[in-house]
This record gives sequence, C-alpha cells and structure tokens, in this order.
Amino acid sequence: VSEVLALNLVLFLPLVGIVLLLLVPGASDTLCRRLTLTMMVLQLLLTAWLYMRFASGVPGLQFETRLPWIAAWGVYYQIGLDGYNVLLVTLTAFLGPLLTAGAFSAIGKDVKLFNATLLLIQFAMMGTLLAQDLFLFYVFWETMLIPMFLLIGIWGGERRIHATLKFVLYTAFGSILMLAAVIYLVWSLQAGAGVTSFAFSDLLNARLPLHAQQWLLGAFGLSFAIKVPMVPLHTWLPDAHVEAPTAGSVILAGVLLKMGTYGFMKLGFPLFPDAARLFTPVLSTLAVVSIVYGACLALVQDDIKKIIAYSSISHLGYVMLGLLSLDLIGVQGALIQMVSHGLIASGLFLMVGMIYERCHSRELAAYGGLAKLIPVYSVFFMILTLASVGLPTTSGFTGEFLVLLGAFKAAWPLHMAGDSGALVLAVVAVSGVVLGALYMLRFALTFLYGPAKAPLQPQQTLMDLGGREKLILGLIVAAVFTLGLYPDDALRKSESAATDYRQRVSSSRLPVAAP
Amino acid sequence: MNARAVATAMLPEHLLLLGIVVLLGLAIGGRARRASLAVALIAVTAAALAAAGLSAGGHAMAPFADQFSVDPAGLRAKALVLALALPVLLMSWGEFEGEEFPLLLLASLYGVSLLLSADSFLTLFLGLELMSMPVYVLVLLGHRRPQSAEAAIKYLILGGAASAALLMGASLLYGSSGSLATSTFVQAVASTQALRRTGVVLIVAALFLKAAIVPFHAWAPDAYEGASVPVTAYMAVIVKAGVLLAAVRLFGNAVPASPLLELLALLPLASIVWGNLAAMRQDSLRRMIGYSSIAHAGYLFYALLGEPAGRFQAVVFYILAYGLLNLLAFAALPPADDERARDRLGRLEGLFHRSPYSALMIGMAMLSLAGIPPLPGFTAKFLIFKNVLAAGHTLYAVLGLVASYLGLYFYLRVIQLMFMSSQAGTPVPAPRAPAVGASVACMVAALLVVVFPGWVVARL
Repeated sequence: VSEVLALNLVLFLPLVGIVLLLLVPGASDTLCRRLTLTMMVLQLLLTAWLYMRFASGVPGLQFETRLPWIAAWGVYYQIGLDGYNVLLVTLTAFLGPLLTAGAFSAIGKDVKLFNATLLLIQFAMMGTLLAQDLFLFYVFWETMLIPMFLLIGIWGGERRIHATLKFVLYTAFGSILMLAAVIYLVWSLQAGAGVTSFAFSDLLNARLPLHAQQWLLGAFGLSFAIKVPMVPLHTWLPDAHVEAPTAGSVILAGVLLKMGTYGFMKLGFPLFPDAARLFTPVLSTLAVVSIVYGACLALVQDDIKKIIAYSSISHLGYVMLGLLSLDLIGVQGALIQMVSHGLIASGLFLMVGMIYERCHSRELAAYGGLAKLIPVYSVFFMILTLASVGLPTTSGFTGEFLVLLGAFKAAWPLHMAGDSGALVLAVVAVSGVVLGALYMLRFALTFLYGPAKAPLQPQQTLMDLGGREKLILGLIVAAVFTLGLYPDDALRKSESAATDYRQRVSSSRLPVAAP
Repeated sequence: MNARAVATAMLPEHLLLLGIVVLLGLAIGGRARRASLAVALIAVTAAALAAAGLSAGGHAMAPFADQFSVDPAGLRAKALVLALALPVLLMSWGEFEGEEFPLLLLASLYGVSLLLSADSFLTLFLGLELMSMPVYVLVLLGHRRPQSAEAAIKYLILGGAASAALLMGASLLYGSSGSLATSTFVQAVASTQALRRTGVVLIVAALFLKAAIVPFHAWAPDAYEGASVPVTAYMAVIVKAGVLLAAVRLFGNAVPASPLLELLALLPLASIVWGNLAAMRQDSLRRMIGYSSIAHAGYLFYALLGEPAGRFQAVVFYILAYGLLNLLAFAALPPADDERARDRLGRLEGLFHRSPYSALMIGMAMLSLAGIPPLPGFTAKFLIFKNVLAAGHTLYAVLGLVASYLGLYFYLRVIQLMFMSSQAGTPVPAPRAPAVGASVACMVAALLVVVFPGWVVARL
C-alpha cells in the first residue's frame, strides 16, 4: 500500500510544487529555486526507494493504481511500474534535481515561471511513462508539449521563436494523427470485442486486420518517430537543441526523445505486431541511416550544441535497431542505451551550458586548450566524451555493444537462410561506432587541447567548476560508471519487459477466421 | 393546456420575464444602472437554478402540446447556457453608458430558452428572432463607434436572410406535410421528395448562417470586431450555443444520408479549415476569436454526423468547454480607454510582465480552444470525433482532426506574444473586480472539468 501511495506521490509532487510556487506571492528567486529543488529531490528519493522495492523477474504491473476517471468512456486513471518504464522513470527522477540545480545561475529571468515550467514538464513526463491507459497516456503525451514550448520560447537563444514553433508544430502534427488512431483503435476494440476500454492490457489483446494495423502503426509510428527523431523527421531537433536553454536541452535529450522509443516499445510495435514485422526492413534501414547520417552531420558542425544534437540522432538510432532486432539481448541493449544516452547527453549538455555561462559562445573554433585552463572541467568532459564513444566500463559501451550483438544474432540465421539484408544493416551500424569516435574525439581534441583560448570578456579569467557543478557532474559520471560496470541490476529489472515485448511482437494478432 | 404545467415547465422563462419587467420598471423610474445589473444577475441565476432544479426533478412535460416541451436533458442544457450568461453580465460592469445592456441581454436569453424547448417551427422562429433582435442592438451599443453601426447592419441583414430561409424552408415542409411540428423535419431528412429536401436544405442553410458556417460566415468577424467585448463574448458563446442546441434538437434521431450528409460534413469541414487559416492573419483578438468561432461552429456541426443517441451530449459538453474558456479569455482581457485599441494583438505583447494573471488566464483559454490536453477543449473535441468515428465516418473524422491542427499556430501566437516578448510595453489597467470574479469562476469551473471529466460527462 505504501508503495502505491509513493508512486502516486512521485507523479503528483511536481504539481504540488507548482501550487506552492503560485501560493507564495512575491517569493524571492532563491526561494522559488529551493522549493523546486526540494520537490525534485523528494521525487528522486521516493523513486529510488520504489526502484529498490521493484521486484525483478515479475511480469506485469507493480504498485498499480486504477480508479475510474471518465467511467462512461471506459477511461481509467491507471498508473504503475513495470519492466518497460522502471528504468526511464528512475532516469527522469534522477535528472530532475540535476537540471533544476544546473539552472540556478543560468536563468535570471522570470524565475518563478521557469521553475513552474520545469515542474510541469516533469509531471507530464512522469505521467507519460507511468500511464497504463491510452487516454491518460495521450493526455500526458500532449501536455509535455506546452512547457517545452515555453521553455524554448521564453528562455531560449536568439532564434528561439522559430525553433519553438517548429518543435511544437512538428510534434503536434504527429500527435493529431495519433489521436485519430487512438480513437479508431478503441472503437474497433469496442466493435469487435464489445469492451469499451483504453487500458493497455485490453488493447494489447485486440485483434485487427493487417490493413488497419498498417494505418494505425503508421499514425502512432509517425508521432513516435518525430519524437525519437528518426531521419528524415529530425530537422526540428538541432534547432530546438541549439536555441533551448541548458535545462531545456537536458530534458529534451535526457527524457523527451526517449518517449519516442518508449512509445514504439510499449505501444507501437506490441499493439500492431503484424504490421510491425512488415515494416521492420524499412524501419531498420531508417534506424541505420539515422545512426550513420547523424554521425556524419555531427562530424562537420561548428556549433558545439549541434554536435551533441546530431549525436543524439545517431545514438537513438541504436535504440531503434535494438528494438527492431527482436532479440532478447538487443532489446535489453536498447533499454540500457536509452538510459545511457539520457545520462551522457544530459551531462554533455550541462557541461556545454556551464562553459556557455562563462564565455557566451557555442562556436567550437573559439575554444582550445581548456585542459590547461580548467582541468577539473576537462576531466569530466573527457569522461563523458569517452562514455559517448562507447568506451568499455561506461554505460555507453553496455548499451551499444548489446544492441549490436543483438542485431547480429538476429541477422545471422536470416543470412544463412539467404536474406542478408539485416546483416548488411548490422555491419553498417557498426561503422557508426567508428564515426562516433571520430566526431567526439575531434570535438574533445579541439576543445581541450592545442593552444589555450576561450572567448572571454577582457577582465575575466576562466573559472573552473564550482562545488554545485562538481556535484551535478559527479552524480552523472557515477551513474554512467555504475551502469557500465554493473548493468546487472538494471538488466534484471527490465528483463521481464524485454521477454514480454519479444513475445508480443513475434506473435500474430490478426483476426482469427471463423471456422 | 394546464396552468400548473405552464407554471412549472416554463419557470426559467417566467423568471427571466419577471426580471425584464422589473428592469423596465427601473428604467422608467430612472433608477441607477447598478441596480439593473444586480436585478439581471439575480434573474438569470434564478432562471438557471430553476432549470437545473426541474432537470434534477426529472420533469418532462409539454405545457403547450407540439409547441413547447421540456425534458431533463434539455433543461440541463438550458441551465448551462443561462449559467454561461452570468460571466457575460459580470464583464459588462462599467462597459456601457446606458442601462440597456442587462435588459436586452435578458430578452435575448428568453429567446434562447424558447429555442431550447421549441417543438414547432413557430416557436423555433419566435425563439430565434427573440434571441437575435436584441443582439443587433447590443452590437450597436459598442461605444458608438462607426464600426459598430456597420457591424450591426451587416449582422441585421444577414440575420434577416437567415430568418427568411428558415421561414421558406418551414413553409415548404408545411406544404408537403400539413404540419408545423419540428418532427416533420426528421421525416423530411429521410425523404427523397424534392420539395421536402429543399425545405431541409433551406433550414440547414439558415442554421449555418446563424452559426457562421462557411460560406455563410462573412458577417461574423466584422460583427465580433465591431461589438464591445461583453457583446462579442455573448455572440461567440450564448448565441452560438442557442443555434447549435436548436439544431441538434431539430435533428432529433434523424440520421442524415447522402447528399445531406455531405452537406453536413463538407461545409463544417470547410469552416474548420478556413476559420483556422484566416485567424492566422488577424491582428485583433476579437476578430481572431471571430474566425476561431467559425472553426468551432464547424466542430459543433460535426457532432451531427455521430450516432443520434450521443449527439446532444457531445454538443452540450462542447459548449460547456468552449463557452467557459472563451468567456475566460474575454473576462481576463485588460480594459482600455480606447475600445478599438483594446484587443489589438500588439497590445498583448509582453502582457505577462505587466499583468501576469491576465496573461496566464488568456494563455490557458487559448490552449483549451486549440484543443491541447488536459484542458476541457480537448476532452470536448475528443467526444465529438469519437462519435463521428463510431458512426463510421472515418475519413471525415481524420480530415476534421487534421484541419483542427491548422488552428494550433494562431492560438500559440497569442501565447508567444504574451510570454516570449521582451518588450515591456505600456502598463495596462487591471481588469475590473466583477470581470476578475467572472474569470476566476470560469477558471475554477474549467479546472473542475479537467480533474473530474467523468463526473461532468455522466451528468450531461
């Protein structure tokens, strides 16, 4: 019982925080920041406790709450933890305090609104992950849009309006088609089985003819693929990342993008398995194109935020590849890669934010030899760079290695049977690792070594990391190593989901012909 | 006719009439206009409570057979529409020089009430005219600007055209069936006879004209912009609600077939598309709401494509969501000395820094009108499209949803102007206390719909 209560608190604490922020009139900026941080830390502590209590190897939902919300339509307020969301929920709660604290010095304008926006998006992201009812999921999914719109649009860079409108209009287009698909799916369940329900567990048993599955997966998939983002739907991402404030970039890279891959894994593929298997060659190709194309673009960027933005496209390509391999190792690798990328990209964006606060430039060529100027910063930066490249002992290695292993394992039998397409894709995907090393090391070399230079105001000297910054980065690096050296616990907690996912996507759910 | 039934079933109307009589007395006696606003508020509140009470008591009766009848669902809708008029009254505080506003508003509400209980074309016509006539004058009241006169004339002429079309259609139906009862309309919808079909089309055209559906929409943006803010709010919410509820009542359990089906699907679809596209180019908030209301009329008429059983509920729920949030936006709009400059979108620039409350409320209203969850506008739109899809019109549902996407941009532009502009602008006066009260009431009601949509849906 106390776990159920704790899970509801995890979801609603940010909302409590918003109410408290509104209730304190004329509160000082410091008070607003501290209040928000307190809420985020409380949320993290509760989540950590729930993560420990979460039983591995048990399929299905744990700590479930199910209450009627719109009873007439079969809509329930249903949340719970399972192998699918447990890692991402923990990641979201982990990043919350870090990005709040990271923005202490960066944001000086409309501090109250800023903190309320952070809490709102935290609420929406938690809700999206925890929801076990399609209506609830959609509501939270769309709610994520507005705080992000404000975050980029109010506290962003020069071209923030352009970037934020592009972000919203892109994502909303996917969502509106998904809404049509949601209604159609629920209606066909009602027409077929006579059950009016939005519960995932009911919808996952609906049987649909192949053409309906194709249309519906197309609609859901478009929405998810825009979020991931998969090439060629990625063009909003670099703009959004470059213009967003650091906290916005961290949320975007850390959690928001994973909503796309999470959506594919939790809903898209298991709901429409027959269509999913039909689309696998196309989607795998797009995933590999994302890996290589994202890496190539990252190689030639001059804006340091853009390098990380394109690297995100590349890294999420691995997640898609792992999910599509339908191999147990590949799927688990995809889950680890989601968390790993969330940690590494967030860390890198936070570090870029820290140097930007000092020097007000994001141009790679303006920097050099930072290792001599700010050694502590440089050590953290090198660790995260190597983690991004996939150095063994870091989480980046665990994720990418498992995904590629899974992809080869799945492709080999096909190759022996005469279909080498999947094998070719897996081989090309490996080249992404090499490209990844190239662009990240080019970045780090220019940034940290060579003649020392940094764009500064004349009277300023470059300050190394302060205590708050060290703490933030130290926590991220610790998590990166934990996941790299001891992925066992995370793997065991998510194993039930990987098995369940494989079994669902491998089986057919076409309507059974009447005898 | 039975005196007792007349007394109970028409209680809301009687209370409104009583209010009108008292207001006339006050006007003749030359009393202060504050009293008249209070009287109007009391009369409308009493009428709304009476309607709600009758509905809760399960009253279903026809005091004038085949002319006027009430049933619990209709009474609930009546209570809702009357309650939505209360914020309009509160907003009008300090807006007008004379005391005509409450009187005309009550007269118009009497018309809306008749409309929601009409069983014959005679009552329907009476209700429609009684609802519209005072609004022509109300538009003219708007600070006596030249635009107001132009807007009022346009509205009057096109309103007249709508009445003419309605009468012509009703007379054709009368000619073919020998009855003025609205039930002939339901039969005529199913009929293939040319005379009846023409009658149906003319009546539908009249409703389209009144609700501002493309291509009968051109009057709306002008009238909305020319009127003063409370009157715009009244037209956008109450008049639209009256017309749509009358339409859905008129259609009863009729299932429109081709070619009427195409008429009822394609023209509202065109309204959604055009309303959303044209709203992007406006620089006046009222004009923008005018185009947005054209799009919303499209969603509302879409409800007629659904199964008959769920249509009334979908329309009532939509009116609740759309009405509350529209009124919220108007009530939170800061006042100004210059009525014309009041709602220039440019004036909203950086509003968050000058009047955070107004900016947050208008922002919330815009998001809800755009249909962003979890706000009520989304839930209402969801219900309508769910019904359309369940009735088998998959293509129309998808097209309507995609067309609704077009509206996102201009709603977001308002938010962008209010929140994302660093320009400070000139300070704005705070909204007047009654208007603030109206906006708080609307916001609280809207939040309740967000948190307990199930409770609301189960009671409509």
